[in-house]
Amino acid sequence: MALLRLLAILFLVPASAVAQASEYDLKAAFLFNFVKFVEWPPQAFSSDRAPVTLCVFGQDPFGHTLENVIQGERVGERSLAVRRPGLEELDGCHVLFVSRSETERFGAVLSKIGSKPVLTVADTDGFLQAGGAINFVLEGNKVRFLINPKAAERNGLRISSRLLRLAMIPVT
Amino acid sequence: MRLLLRDLPIRRKLVVILMIATGGALLLAGILLLTLDFFRFRAEMKTDLGVLAAIVAQNSSAPISFQDRIVAEETLAALRAKPSILGAALYDAQGMPFVEWIRPGEAPDFPARPGTDGATFRDGRLVLFEPVIVVGERVGTVYLESSLSEVWERLRVRAFTVTGVFLIAALAALALSSALQVLISRPVMSLADTAKAVSERNDYSLRAEKQSADELGRLVDAFNQMLSQIEERDTALLAAKEELEHRVEDRTHELREANAELQQSNRDLDDFAYIASHDLKEPLRGIHNYSMFLLEDYGDKLDEDGKAKLETLMRLTRRMEVLIDSLLEFSRLGRVDLAMDEVDLNEILSETLENLDINLKEEKVEVAVPRPLPTVRSDRVRVGEIFHNLIVNGVKYNDKPHKRIEVGYLDGEEPRVFYVRDNGIGIPEKHHEAIFRIFKRLHSRDKFGGGTGAGLTIVKKIVERHNGRIWVESEPGEGTTFYFTLGKGDRLAEQHTEPTDPAG
Repeated sequence: MALLRLLAILFLVPASAVAQASEYDLKAAFLFNFVKFVEWPPQAFSSDRAPVTLCVFGQDPFGHTLENVIQGERVGERSLAVRRPGLEELDGCHVLFVSRSETERFGAVLSKIGSKPVLTVADTDGFLQAGGAINFVLEGNKVRFLINPKAAERNGLRISSRLLRLAMIPVT
Repeated sequence: MRLLLRDLPIRRKLVVILMIATGGALLLAGILLLTLDFFRFRAEMKTDLGVLAAIVAQNSSAPISFQDRIVAEETLAALRAKPSILGAALYDAQGMPFVEWIRPGEAPDFPARPGTDGATFRDGRLVLFEPVIVVGERVGTVYLESSLSEVWERLRVRAFTVTGVFLIAALAALALSSALQVLISRPVMSLADTAKAVSERNDYSLRAEKQSADELGRLVDAFNQMLSQIEERDTALLAAKEELEHRVEDRTHELREANAELQQSNRDLDDFAYIASHDLKEPLRGIHNYSMFLLEDYGDKLDEDGKAKLETLMRLTRRMEVLIDSLLEFSRLGRVDLAMDEVDLNEILSETLENLDINLKEEKVEVAVPRPLPTVRSDRVRVGEIFHNLIVNGVKYNDKPHKRIEVGYLDGEEPRVFYVRDNGIGIPEKHHEAIFRIFKRLHSRDKFGGGTGAGLTIVKKIVERHNGRIWVESEPGEGTTFYFTLGKGDRLAEQHTEPTDPAG
């Protein structure tokens, strides 16, 4: 379903923006998919009905894509929501994408998160070293990602081995 | 097949029957087992592959979601471990092919779009569609294609095993049936041997040995019973035969004695008749002679009436003599044996006619013999007498100017019917019986040449001694035909030519 949307988006977005749009379209789709392969502890959700919240911190590279991707979708019983919080509004995020624009503040953000059950994602070098869990990389024209499972562990999250298989595990 | 088996000895037949039955059962069992196995192996393969497909689907969920073809291919390629899998493919959520894996050297047939989930057997292959699901949502389909070579291989191995086991079972059956067939064959053979011995040696005292209490046992009992019955009848027969022989001996003895008595009596009668005739005839001759003397010596002293009376006297004595001779002849005929021989009747007839020649010429008698007479087994002399008497009668009792006698025989009759026919005065039917009686004359003694009336009686006696028959056909004025036979058919009466000597 998500891919269908991506295709639709690809046709609508102008050529110059296409390359960039498709990169972040994929990354948006991946963010959505990450949810399917990660287990949050029960206390991460306020209720059974509480949606899985995807947060974008800093300059939003996704545009409407993220909303499009999650619209109408469910993961298990839960629907999804998108937020763009400030530093003090990070509570309630389940997935936090830290934009490249916030590279200097990686450390601050991550310490703010601490060991709360949040999946930290970025697409900037050094994110994992800073303590993030997943970092997007571009391999040729393919979007790949690196995962630091220990970081996720510290956040009380369990990443499915199936996802880990796909990732390039950094040597830590 | 029954025809081939039918004439085998019982022992072999029983074993063959049992083996055919056992073999047939084992074969059927084998076929059924293998058929069941085939379906079982197929079902197991289906389960196996289902499991593999599920695992692959699980492992494919991430690669599909994150479009990681490399990992997806790796996941599919892991299926190479199962030799029967020819190839596998992954389809994405839209049903578009994502990745494929083909076993080197194989040519699986990947569909353009995934079909319904589940396993099917198609074209001798097993194909599977398994959904790839992540958190309850379908993100793609796994396609597996497998050959059934594994099934056949398993089946082949199984067939060998089954065949081996069943061969052993068959051998065991062979051993058992060979051992157990004696239960039937031995009693049967024993009975057969006994029957053969009884019939070969005609020994009805033998008995068959009863070896079992089944139908064969009953057969043996019945057989023995029959033998006992035969034995009894044999002894009874033997006793009856001896009894009969005794009786026959006794009867023969009695008959011999009776015969001897008869012979003796005959001889006595003969003697008596001979003597009596002589003694009877002597005074007759005396009377005749003295009458003649009277006529010669005192004839001139007698008148015509007296002479006539003397002549009558002489005639009467002559007549008496003839009567005595006839009586003697008739008596002898009854007692004397016939001298049987192959007699040419033509010879006899011509002899008879020669003897009567003068008489026949005088009377102007034509004697016709339409065809030559056969040769018949008879008494030569007596047959001559038949012809003589019948012809003489035919001439005597004939008032026609042109007398005709015909002698011949009828066609197609068995025994041969001879006849003597004349064109004489004929005989009324009411006298046809009486004429054969002794001394019976239908006419007065001075008509038709006289005669004793013994001729026909003598002829009848001779014919009857030959076991034949004589009868007459005649109408007054129409002539007379005497028919006679000289026997009962092919064989005439056979008498001993010599009287048996009772003294042995």
